[in-house]
Amino acid sequence: MSQLAEELVLDRLIHEPGRLAILTVLSSVTDADFVFLLRATGLTKGNLSSHLSRLEDAGLVAIEKRFVRKKPNTNVALTAEGRRRIAAHWEQLERLKRLGK
Amino acid sequence: MQRRELETAAANYTYLRGLLYIPLGGLFVLAALGNWKVGPLRHNWVFLLVALALAAVAAAVNRYYNEVYGRLTPSTAQQVRAGIGLVLAVALMLGGATLLRSQASWSLDLPVNPIPVCFAVVMLVSYAIGVGLRAHHVIIWGALLVAGALPVWNGPDPSNIGLLLCGAAVIVCGVFDHRLFVHTFGPPRAIDYENGDVAAR
Repeated sequence: MSQLAEELVLDRLIHEPGRLAILTVLSSVTDADFVFLLRATGLTKGNLSSHLSRLEDAGLVAIEKRFVRKKPNTNVALTAEGRRRIAAHWEQLERLKRLGK
Repeated sequence: MQRRELETAAANYTYLRGLLYIPLGGLFVLAALGNWKVGPLRHNWVFLLVALALAAVAAAVNRYYNEVYGRLTPSTAQQVRAGIGLVLAVALMLGGATLLRSQASWSLDLPVNPIPVCFAVVMLVSYAIGVGLRAHHVIIWGALLVAGALPVWNGPDPSNIGLLLCGAAVIVCGVFDHRLFVHTFGPPRAIDYENGDVAAR
């Protein structure tokens, strides 16, 4: 692979639309709960849950399970690595867009 | 996928929870009626009781949004912006009202109604910075601005009528904001919450 092609490789973990949506929403807040992420991304519960697990395993998000008014509540925040990776990913997409013009 | 839409979801969530504006608008109306000492509002305790009831309604509405649409903590930058905005809004309300119509030596002493004028400016700027102005914001706050700026407010202090106008504008804007909120985040019953959130299991 040429150097240019290597530089333009997209982060496959982040590039999946559902995960990209989750990380983009989280990049604009300090933290958000599961219900807000459902609403903001339009994903189903199952999809969101599985994407969050993958992102947590990769160290991009931190998940805190707690109870609010005796109801389970899952709070999610980007880790420092997650914040860096999503910013770099959007930068990469912008680069590709500029190259395409 | 629209990056901008996703990044502004948090701001939309914060600004467009319109049902919260209904008790807030009620507080403006209550203040005006309290100043006029209408009916039982001539007693201070009745005023306080109604204000507490409005606060309870606001807390219930906030809980509804949290449970049905979720919770979030805005970013530090958003919180700092909101804090600075609040300080500037208070300064503009006090300074603007004094500049336009008061007994202060530097007052312009114009026959306008300063409360709706200043409040409309604060709201227009606040929405413009927060989520971007929508048609209903321009119409409602523009109408309030024009109504207050018409040089027809001769005679005694028109503050109470100004408060009533502000209260009505806040309530109407709240209804439209809530409609936009539902359009953005979906209808209340679109998600099954019966068993709590899946990820918490």
